[in-house]
Amino acid sequence: MIHEVVERALRVASRYGLDEVEVYAVRSFTTDVVGTIRGLERVTSGERVDVGIRAVLGKRVTVQGGMVSRVEDVDSVVEVASKVVRTLPEDPNWVSLPRKTGKVAIEGAVDAKLRSPDVGYFIEVVKYLLGRAKEIDRRAYTSSASVRSVYVERAIASSYGGPQVDEHTELGVFVSVKAVDGTEESGYYDFYSSTTLSRLNPEELVGRAVEVSVKTLGARRVDTGTYEVVLVPRVFASVIQSLLVPAVSAESVQKGRSPLAGKLGSRVLSENLTLVDDGTYPELTGTRGFDDEGVPTARKVVFDRGVLRGFLYDTYTAYVDRRESTGNATRQTPYAPPTPWMTNILVEPGSGDLQSMVRDVRRGIVVYSTIGEWLSNPVSGLLNATVTNGVYVEGGEERFPVKGVVIAGSIYEAMGSPELRLTAAVESFGRFRVPAVYIPKLTVAGR
Amino acid sequence: MLSRDLATQVLDEVLRRGAEGAVVRLQERVYELVVYDSGVLRGYSISTVRGVGIRAVVGGGTGYAYTSSIDRESVSRAIDRAISLARVASSYGRKSFAPVKPVKDAFRVEFKVDPHTVDPQVKVELVKEVNTASMRRAGIVSAVTRLGLERDRRIVLTSEGTEVEVDVVGVGLAHMAVARYGAVIERVGDRESYIGGYEHIERRDWLKFAEEVDELAIKASQAKTPTPGTYVAVVDNEVVGLLLHEAFGHASEGDGVVAGASILRGKVGERVASELVTIVDAGLVEGGYPIPYDDEGVPKGRTVVVEDGVLKGYLNSRDTAQELGMGPTGNARAQDVSFDTLVRQTNYYAEPRDWRVEELFEGVSYGIYLRGRGAMGGQVNPSVGTFTFSIGPSYIVRNGEVAELVRGVVVSGNILETLKEVDAVARDLKVTTSVFGGCGKGGQTVRVGDGGPHIRTRRIVVGGG
Repeated sequence: MIHEVVERALRVASRYGLDEVEVYAVRSFTTDVVGTIRGLERVTSGERVDVGIRAVLGKRVTVQGGMVSRVEDVDSVVEVASKVVRTLPEDPNWVSLPRKTGKVAIEGAVDAKLRSPDVGYFIEVVKYLLGRAKEIDRRAYTSSASVRSVYVERAIASSYGGPQVDEHTELGVFVSVKAVDGTEESGYYDFYSSTTLSRLNPEELVGRAVEVSVKTLGARRVDTGTYEVVLVPRVFASVIQSLLVPAVSAESVQKGRSPLAGKLGSRVLSENLTLVDDGTYPELTGTRGFDDEGVPTARKVVFDRGVLRGFLYDTYTAYVDRRESTGNATRQTPYAPPTPWMTNILVEPGSGDLQSMVRDVRRGIVVYSTIGEWLSNPVSGLLNATVTNGVYVEGGEERFPVKGVVIAGSIYEAMGSPELRLTAAVESFGRFRVPAVYIPKLTVAGR
Repeated sequence: MLSRDLATQVLDEVLRRGAEGAVVRLQERVYELVVYDSGVLRGYSISTVRGVGIRAVVGGGTGYAYTSSIDRESVSRAIDRAISLARVASSYGRKSFAPVKPVKDAFRVEFKVDPHTVDPQVKVELVKEVNTASMRRAGIVSAVTRLGLERDRRIVLTSEGTEVEVDVVGVGLAHMAVARYGAVIERVGDRESYIGGYEHIERRDWLKFAEEVDELAIKASQAKTPTPGTYVAVVDNEVVGLLLHEAFGHASEGDGVVAGASILRGKVGERVASELVTIVDAGLVEGGYPIPYDDEGVPKGRTVVVEDGVLKGYLNSRDTAQELGMGPTGNARAQDVSFDTLVRQTNYYAEPRDWRVEELFEGVSYGIYLRGRGAMGGQVNPSVGTFTFSIGPSYIVRNGEVAELVRGVVVSGNILETLKEVDAVARDLKVTTSVFGGCGKGGQTVRVGDGGPHIRTRRIVVGGG
């Protein structure tokens, strides 16, 4: 259907005398299985087709769209877009829709097993996750578990070419474990997120959730002060996404909303930190042959041993800086205007393992999970995250579990330290492939 | 165009194909957004969500399927999928739903000016004027202004005979300003939303609104971050709303309770807050988002969750109500038809008491006045009871007086501790909603309202800088 939608929209648009038109259509087929301690809760499946039309008249631009119920629905979308665009003021920065479209060959974006998912298998996985926790430790139980499988087809065409099409799959498996011991309670969730089923290991997933939830029973606050902090990969990834990714978006830089404006070529992070954006990396969920405006994705170093090497661009922001798009155009929905955002983030590993990193901590906290880190302020670079599962370490020994404290401070001071360290082991999940990180100094608000 | 007739046809077909029970949901939502960023129009979009969602019950199992395509073939496939998923689910256990009386009703928000028929140029001019005025202000380096206009029409039919239609129109304007002072850059955003038509946009002085946001951003960029630690806090209406929503609301949602994932499970009848605290969740309240019926077609009345500090009950869907032996409260909600329902808050707020706001500051030798303007939202882990939220530029309180501004304030606490520390509740109830966001859970965002009066709490953890 999306091919018909794209072709029809372009055909209809040609009647309205527009200078440029782009049609982006996405068909997604989703299957969800959700269970709780009560058993199987929900089995859901559905498909939707969304379309976005970018219409350009001179330097006037608009994006219209939404869910499409029938192919003919695009007629009215195009009509509205062509009417609205005539009423708009010009955008002085507008140059053109992307002219150099295309796609790169990628591997591991599609798992054939997820094109037509086996609901029965998903239910078995959920059942296993629900039952396994209490077998591992009698103090633990799984409060909820779920599997979500998505198969996506995309098509894009514009006045400059196309249509280009691609497909990808995504699998998300989630398990939430509670631990109860007398009056003490704790909880921890773990997840698997990839384009493929192949690396899913339900035993490992639930095992880790049980281990952390039991280990953090009886958690309390530490005194307010300055501590060393170790962030496990998923927490580190979340901090990167909340504070560093917005700051390297060319849009934030151009609009004065990034503390990294004017710092290209400067060392802004520890020389131990090299961070890459790579839209082609296999089996990560941000992997695509082309970005959300049809530009080929690519691998680019953003921070090279702490030195800021580049920003993430879509076509619009690239024209503003007179350079090429980096293939980072992203739309929140198919019918939203594109903006530059990360594809997949890879952090180069360091050396040693998590255990040896913890053994070197004199007085600090190992953070296994946080909430609210996404509320940190990328404009000022201030990190604020509340620890939900942590362990206090003194003299290299784990002393007691911690929760309810806020880790805070400038991300550039915290991650600019030459003493910052990374583990050799990296974890891949969702759009990230990152190690654990040791930060020598962060403020902790507690008792 | 989606109609009640179509819903009836789909429901009949689901039952004809063997379902013993069904809920059919139709939805058409139009959202119009005008965005000016730093003096340039960055977006004018009109998006539509339209489709059919079907929940089928077969052999005690439930399946949900949806389609955005409403041609006969696609709808038929969706019906088959819902029934087949329900059959699969039935082999893993039965689910039962609390009985409800069927209801037939239509609720429509009254408005004078349909926001989607207003000349696009008029809307663009308004946003442009506000945004460019902001960009001209000394100290402001960036500003984003958004006008949001929404109409959400939902039809719910159930096999028990319920037929409800809810049609809500909402409008609002949001403004975010970034100020620079030396090396410090700080942002402050605020938004105001109204349930009703474009007449609300026309009435408000948006230049004044943006000026206040800009001035606060400028002052915040010159302010320090607070010293991290535990504070006595006077909390304004908006932060109270966030506090209750995050610190208590999520833990009182019945799906978390039955899953053993809420720290409030098994605590009905116990003291969970100061005796000054009464919390309600109401479908219709002034300033809030109207939810007269949920997405199972159950009336959403007024649910007392906490009364004088004692936990009275939970928010329920028909399913969790049955499990918990309580009545359904009309809290089964879905973002749109591409999701089955979850248990969600509607308008969650604290009832007022007798204090005047000024009295809350009396006797506070050193504390903080937590302000909502510029708040970014919050998050909770209901299973461990920890919550956090980012709030706007706030003020240190010294010797009962509001003193210097502080920026970058984040608070955190524990569900079972924080509300017990409330020692004063003011009389100034205020509930607000937003057409720019809402509450996120399970990958779904729904519109909510929240608020309350000013309160004072004896201890809350404040992070920052």
